[in-house]
Amino acid sequence: MKFFGFVIVCLTGGLLLYGTMDLPDWGDPGSPASTHLSDYYIEHIVEETQVPNLVTAVLADYRGYDTMFETAVVFCAGLACFLLLRDFRPGKDRYFRHVPTGVMLHFKNPDTRLVAGNEFEHMDKEWVPSDMIIKTVCRILIPFIQIYALYVVAHGDFSPGGGFQGGVIFGSSLILMAISYNLKTLVKRVTEKFLSIFAAAGVLIYVGIGVAAMLMGGHFLDYGMLAPLLPSDPGHIRALGMLGVEIGVGIAVMAVMVIIYINIVSEGRHDEGL
Amino acid sequence: MNNMPAILVLAPLLGAFFAGLAAWIQKQLSYYIALAAMAVSCFAAVSVLTDVITSGTMQYRMAGWAPPMGIELRIYLLNAMVLVLISAIAFVNLVASVKNVEQEISDRAPSFYVMYLLFVVGLLGVTATGDLFNLYVLIEITSLTSYTLIALGDKDRGHLAALNYVFIGVIGASFYLLGVGYLYITTGSLNMADVAVILKGIQGSSAVLTAFILCILGVWIKMALFPLHVWLPNAYTFAPVGFARVVAPLMTKVMVYVMVRLMVTVFGLEYIFETLHLADAVVWLAVTAILAGAFTALFQTDLKKMLAYIIVCEIGYMVGGAWLGNSLGMTGAILHILNDGLMTFALFLAVGNIIYMRKQVAFSNLSGLFAAMPWTMAGFVLAGLSIIGVPPTCGFFSKWYLVLGAFEAGAYHFAAALVISSLVCAVLFFKVFEICFFGSAPGAPGHHVPGNPQPSHDIHSAGHAWAKADSGAGAHSPAEVMAEAPVSMLAALGLVSVAIIAAGVYAGTIVNTIILPFLQ
Repeated sequence: MKFFGFVIVCLTGGLLLYGTMDLPDWGDPGSPASTHLSDYYIEHIVEETQVPNLVTAVLADYRGYDTMFETAVVFCAGLACFLLLRDFRPGKDRYFRHVPTGVMLHFKNPDTRLVAGNEFEHMDKEWVPSDMIIKTVCRILIPFIQIYALYVVAHGDFSPGGGFQGGVIFGSSLILMAISYNLKTLVKRVTEKFLSIFAAAGVLIYVGIGVAAMLMGGHFLDYGMLAPLLPSDPGHIRALGMLGVEIGVGIAVMAVMVIIYINIVSEGRHDEGL
Repeated sequence: MNNMPAILVLAPLLGAFFAGLAAWIQKQLSYYIALAAMAVSCFAAVSVLTDVITSGTMQYRMAGWAPPMGIELRIYLLNAMVLVLISAIAFVNLVASVKNVEQEISDRAPSFYVMYLLFVVGLLGVTATGDLFNLYVLIEITSLTSYTLIALGDKDRGHLAALNYVFIGVIGASFYLLGVGYLYITTGSLNMADVAVILKGIQGSSAVLTAFILCILGVWIKMALFPLHVWLPNAYTFAPVGFARVVAPLMTKVMVYVMVRLMVTVFGLEYIFETLHLADAVVWLAVTAILAGAFTALFQTDLKKMLAYIIVCEIGYMVGGAWLGNSLGMTGAILHILNDGLMTFALFLAVGNIIYMRKQVAFSNLSGLFAAMPWTMAGFVLAGLSIIGVPPTCGFFSKWYLVLGAFEAGAYHFAAALVISSLVCAVLFFKVFEICFFGSAPGAPGHHVPGNPQPSHDIHSAGHAWAKADSGAGAHSPAEVMAEAPVSMLAALGLVSVAIIAAGVYAGTIVNTIILPFLQ
């Protein structure tokens, strides 16, 4: 078996090497990849879409149909985590802490109820006292991370960035909250319902903008057709359309990041974890 | 402007997200949204097919950009036919499988329907697109959703089967992507039609050869051609019924379509059969696939797994036919995409009905099925005969074209493999029929309840009787108590059985109006 594996690897490597023989030179300005379509994009994008960032224009407009499905892939990943990991059975053991005394209570019977409130605090199995420095620093950082995420989403058509990156940054700010406090704090503020609705709604914004263009009599995702709907300079309409889909992507990616994190760290129970 | 090509992909996509949102209002809503979305998609697919037949190839520019710059959907007669097949099977299965889903994964049924719709979006998108990279993105969606849904299946073995599938599937997808990368470097374009024009000028290039081999290998892994098939039997056996019924007939067939599409409309048949000299080797590979699939199926003791190996065998038919290098073989392969889709769907519908009533389909559980589930078994027998290739069922006609193609190409080993595998399939199915017909349940033969055409009577007590019989203590044999599946499942099976006969009777029309014009 190992021998066969070796032979197959050698054959594949040989094939790949053989394939490189006729490839254009490294950085060759005359190669097909840099002459066939690139020229068109470089010469026409700013004039046709009013977007200075060529990458965003190709991604969200010329190949916007691909990007829509990439967002759907992200959504699938989140849904897959939910479908396979989510465990609705109540946890067997639960831990509480009596706040004034610091005494820890361990409930082995799932039917015993104790309302977490001022006196008792719900806590995790691997609980360690939250470090004040970490908590404070994260509390200060999180809003700035989120503002930066919004900037990355909104500024995608001028500078490197866009919905995927902004969404990941925003999602990571929420994950940072879960790490610096505990998972409960996050789940209390950002509920499962909220996240799943945002994940679906984000992609729906993308598809919805496309369908709106179709209803206005254009092709699917033809942002130019949306001009009558928006009180803005018609020349900028494609840039606005891209901003719209980037916002949708950002929302979906943010929600999916958090869904994946919560489901993996808590083994689908959403009660305790890292 | 005709938006139908976009609508047929977008309806299930929109449906998926609305179904996901609606689940928070009322769980049942997501099923009805899924049903409506598939109905719209089905309608759009049929309308696209009629348009393509009357007015030729259809192009749809996404976002309004002209093809090499933007992405286009390009629908030939071939894809139009496959699109109708996909949307119809996905719709009928949604009707047939609602009870299976309730039985197997009731607690997460809404998410199942969302995933199901996304899977169908992937298949439809792969079939409709005219862009090489877009094809990859949609293959990714189909794969990701099918990994998830397969892992939802059998509690003990579903996860491992899905994990195997993930490893092999990801390798397949990356091969394809790498191939597209080589193509992009040498042509600078991703549009299939554009790439085809540029490739005509650089046929001797080693990079193009590498691109071709990588793309085809990737697609072969995804379609489970014989030595690369190891993920398939377990994945399809342990998937939940509601999903197995749609992935088994469609996934492999759509990948065969992708192979044919790449061969005919991207690389070009002259390049493959005149510049390269791979065709003979591939036909031999197909012959091994056919024989290996058929003979491995002989050793199975579980009906679902036996059918999974038959799929491996059928893949060999289609790959071999496409690589024979003549129009008859290609016609047979394309016709077989349609026919095998229908036959496999009918077989899995029947298996799903049996699982719904009896939980398991190991051969030991099948005894007395003809008496207990006569309508289901009627559909099963018809589909089985079609797989064997008995006229007037559709399976006969595609095999006929394949055999003719084999003789014209002088590939007698391929013709022999077809005949041998048909005989093996006959042995397989008659073995199953025998167990279902003569195999008596434990205990003495009981009284015969006359065949009641109303299948919806008293399922629960019959199921209860079965539980007793399995414990081996039943005084009356319940083997002949009728315990037929619900009407919705039988109606779906009946519809597909009619389609099998119709596809057989109208095989000539299909070949003359769809396949031959496409190949010219």
